[in-house]
Amino acid sequence: MTGALNLLVALAMGLNLLALGSSRLPSLIRAAAVQGMVLGVLPLLLEHEFHGLVWVVAAATIAIKGFVIPGLLRRALRTAHIDREVEPLLGFIPSLLLGAMAAIGAVAFAGALPLRPEHAGTLLVPGAFATLVGGLLLLMGRSKAIAQVCGYLILENGIYLFGLLLIHATPLIVEAGILLDLTVGVFVIGIIVDRIQREFDTLDTRKLTSLRE
Amino acid sequence: MTTVLDILLRLAVWLLLAPLLPGVINKVKAWIAGRRGPPVLQLYYDLAKLWRKGVVLSTAVSPGHVAGPAVAWVAVLSAALLLPLGPAGTALSFRGDALLFVYLLAVARFCTSCAALDTASAFEGMGVAREVSYAVLAEAAVITALLTLALQSNSVSLGTMLVPSAGAGAGLLAAGLFLVLLAENCRVPFDDPNTHLELTMIHEVMVLDHSGPPLAAILHGASVKLLLFAVLLAETVLPIGKLSPLMATAALAGSVLVVAVGVGLVESLFARLAFRRVPMLLTTAFLLSLFALLAAWKGAGA
Amino acid sequence: MIPGRLLLLAFLSLIVGLVTARRAPRLWLAATLTGAGAALAAATGVLAGGEVWEWRPTLAVGGEAVHLRLDAVSAFFLALLAVLGGAGGAYSRAYWTDAAHPRSAPSGRAWWNALLAFMGLVLLSANGLHFLIAWELFAVSGYFLITRERHRREVRQAGWLYLAASHAGTLCLFAFFALLAARTGSWELGPMRGRAELAPLFWLALAGFGLKAGLFPLHIWLPSAHANAPSHVSAILSGVAIKMGIYGLVRFSGWLPVPEAAAWTIAALGVVSAVLGVAFALGQHDLKRLLAYHSVENIGIILIGLGFALVAAAHGNPVWAQLAFAGGLLHVWNHGLFKALLFLGAGSVLHATGTREMSKLGGLWRAMPWTAGCFTLGAAAISGLPPLNGFVSEWLVYLGLFDAVGSRSSAAWVAVPAVVLLAMTGALALACFVKVVGVVFLGLPRTETAKHAHESGWFMRVPMLVLASACVAIGLFPMFFWPAVARAAAAWQPAWADAPVPEPLYALSACNITFALLGLLAAALLWRRVRRNGLSRAVTWDCGYAAPSARMQYTAGSFAGIITGWFAWILRPERHAKLPEGNFPAHAHFAEHTPETVLEKIVEPTGRLVMAVSTAVRRLQHGRLQSYILYLLLGLIALALLAFAGGGR
Repeated sequence: MTGALNLLVALAMGLNLLALGSSRLPSLIRAAAVQGMVLGVLPLLLEHEFHGLVWVVAAATIAIKGFVIPGLLRRALRTAHIDREVEPLLGFIPSLLLGAMAAIGAVAFAGALPLRPEHAGTLLVPGAFATLVGGLLLLMGRSKAIAQVCGYLILENGIYLFGLLLIHATPLIVEAGILLDLTVGVFVIGIIVDRIQREFDTLDTRKLTSLRE
Repeated sequence: MTTVLDILLRLAVWLLLAPLLPGVINKVKAWIAGRRGPPVLQLYYDLAKLWRKGVVLSTAVSPGHVAGPAVAWVAVLSAALLLPLGPAGTALSFRGDALLFVYLLAVARFCTSCAALDTASAFEGMGVAREVSYAVLAEAAVITALLTLALQSNSVSLGTMLVPSAGAGAGLLAAGLFLVLLAENCRVPFDDPNTHLELTMIHEVMVLDHSGPPLAAILHGASVKLLLFAVLLAETVLPIGKLSPLMATAALAGSVLVVAVGVGLVESLFARLAFRRVPMLLTTAFLLSLFALLAAWKGAGA
Repeated sequence: MIPGRLLLLAFLSLIVGLVTARRAPRLWLAATLTGAGAALAAATGVLAGGEVWEWRPTLAVGGEAVHLRLDAVSAFFLALLAVLGGAGGAYSRAYWTDAAHPRSAPSGRAWWNALLAFMGLVLLSANGLHFLIAWELFAVSGYFLITRERHRREVRQAGWLYLAASHAGTLCLFAFFALLAARTGSWELGPMRGRAELAPLFWLALAGFGLKAGLFPLHIWLPSAHANAPSHVSAILSGVAIKMGIYGLVRFSGWLPVPEAAAWTIAALGVVSAVLGVAFALGQHDLKRLLAYHSVENIGIILIGLGFALVAAAHGNPVWAQLAFAGGLLHVWNHGLFKALLFLGAGSVLHATGTREMSKLGGLWRAMPWTAGCFTLGAAAISGLPPLNGFVSEWLVYLGLFDAVGSRSSAAWVAVPAVVLLAMTGALALACFVKVVGVVFLGLPRTETAKHAHESGWFMRVPMLVLASACVAIGLFPMFFWPAVARAAAAWQPAWADAPVPEPLYALSACNITFALLGLLAAALLWRRVRRNGLSRAVTWDCGYAAPSARMQYTAGSFAGIITGWFAWILRPERHAKLPEGNFPAHAHFAEHTPETVLEKIVEPTGRLVMAVSTAVRRLQHGRLQSYILYLLLGLIALALLAFAGGGR
């Protein structure tokens, strides 16, 4: 079980780097979506007794993170006629190297933390750290609103990974709530993006600073 | 006496088998494109013909121009001799020969680059600039891969490092080394060996002004380099040294063939990358090796 | 007592040279060469025999008894000094002639001997005060040698920068030796590793010696000084003078306890210097400036070796430390040899064409085949290519680092990036020297001056050939040089005494020899085949363009463009471009220049800030007595408040 778990988390960490290295918005969205789906499977591996709610939440996570949110983003991309190039503020190679350093640093750091024995052997904590940093790097280093939304999604995935550590302590209903918030958030962003595009002809967040008043 | 004989035999294997690989790749490409394609032994015919041909040298070149391909060819062959050859192991193995291996390939790069700049051609200067620049990133990936193997086998000698398989990070290492293989041998997506536009080439443009026997040395050296990376990749991933001799030979030959087919497939299915994307792919190769190193560290530490 | 007599002979010869430098240049050369030979013999004797030569006459200078001492560490550096001192001296006979430089050549010869003598004295001094005096005199003679062409503004500026940096370093060293003397009660130097309370002093030594060695970011003075000095001076500055900084670090890290953090700092600074040195070198278009930045790179490689050896010493002397240290130490020799060779080669180019600008050169192999051959060999050596000497020392450092990674200790966390960056440094150096050789010596001459260059005379060729053969010798037969390195390492760390030649070194030597022979053989065979098949000449493939010109060749700037683009975050290249526009573009131009970023972006703004603050403070000084009395009163009140506040507590 731990082997499969680690493999999936490692895959998610790899997807972080893929997201950091994507130069086109659709591939960035796809990376975030696949990461969401990969992580959606995790509760099934962690929960020992299989009751209905776990299945429902996992299925909902996969559906929403893997299909609904990416669908909304792609729709925004299409309707707002956004250019597909990601415009990096921080170059792709530096972001990749930083992401990789974060991953290695997370592994080293998690080794030093006093974790519970059942979590010590897994990649859950390093994966969570690396995903958080990856999301933050995207939020800081990309100028387009859609790319930042993807960064936010990846950041949320990191938080979700942390949440999995407490899976026995918190009801999954909390995660379900977060998921709902997320969907609504992205939905709203999709609408706003569309409106801003119509109003200002740009979605470059650098230029949106003039809206600060 | 036996060592000399041994080395000569190995040399013969490398010399004779290497030109087969480009033939296989071309056959795969032709097959996917629905053509009949050139015969698998085409490079042998080409080499034989070039070896008999006269030479046209540029009026700009120095007397060292012919030495470049010659020394590069010797360097690549020497590097090849340091690699263990499946069940036969290595002819010469000592601590640190892995580093000699890397630096012999650098010697080959130095020689071909100087020979290319010797012709005073702007095109060739462009090719050399790309070759030596991308080699910086490829070198980082290769040395990280060697570091992974060294960490796993506790040795800095290719003879011992390549005996076991690469362990936990084998897949990562294989992917990384395959990317390096493509880059170092100037295959798609880094360079297109079939292109004929001077502005977009790396390796091919560096040899524009070579002809006759020196060109034969360059082409043959390039095929040895391709075989060398294929063997390195195969022995990194497979526990060749732990199989029975027959199995090991079959596994080595089979995996080299798989690599060749893989190169052919990549070449048929992918387009060449824009130059500004090349560093990105090489960085990926480096990161793959780096994570393999991490896996080796964790794997053996646990 | 033989080393003593030889050293005396060397000293007397240098004095004779000093006296005869102005009037009798031939006698000067003979005396200098004798001195260098005697010093080399003394150093070889100590390195071969292993015993320490000491001399304590009943003589006091500055109130301190003279104490000279030649152990294996000093002898190791002395040997390099002797070889380069002799080679550079001979070279200068034809390079900086009385005919061409009537004013500066005679005094230059005298300063040359002074520099050699004072550097020798630094190596021999076993007394802190005398060490400082010799160090200062050596720095000042270096200044007078750098500023031979005082009428040129950039030379004066380079000289001032050198002097300022040198004095900043001396200030640190002064504090270092004074504190050392205060804590130990004597200026005598010697092994005192056991006294842990002296450890913090090493930071001062690191700053002082690091400035001299030119490690990043303390290298700011180095590029301009080495580029603007006459080439034989550049050779000895780069080959030996900056090694004095390394000598200091090796010497005092061997004698004093070293805080572990300083060991880590040295290793990290070594890695940074190696990578950034070569990155800056790639951005240069001035031949000698480029070589100067490579000194920063190689100092980095040396310090990686030293730093890891120190880290290891803090972790109980694992075996890998010895390899790393030996590699670093051997690299001191190797870098001295090939960098001097390259500077002398650059000097020949400068002598023949009058320019250091690479974009004005090209195709020099026609006019200067000897120089081209020697320079190419040096280029291959500095790129760390087998079968030459640069590879041997880098190989030893690599072995040490690989073992450090294998140890899985905390050192491994630094060893992994060090290995990767060292490999990248090697590839970058290769790129840089392919560029230099290709742009300067290969291809076609880009200008008339390059076309009408001439080969240099035998006085300039022979030193280059000597250095080149030394590079080949260390590359092919490293085991013969190992005992010297091992003795020096044993003098640094007594636990390593009697290290046998590592077994792989023999195998490496065999490989190198075979490879060299096979390479020559293959080249000869291929050339014969080409001759037999028939050889014809044609123009280089020009893609059908009707009027190709030599200026269309790839330039140094465009060659390095890809890599300098990767390092633009620190190189900060300045671009001035007017791009072609429209269907019939009019005039267009493009110029790129890589500044000394640390100097221009950090040190100079800081200096300006300090100046601004000082100017503001200077307004207080205006000559009105009344105000001065006010200052006095204010000062008194402040003191009183301070005392009151202090007393209240």
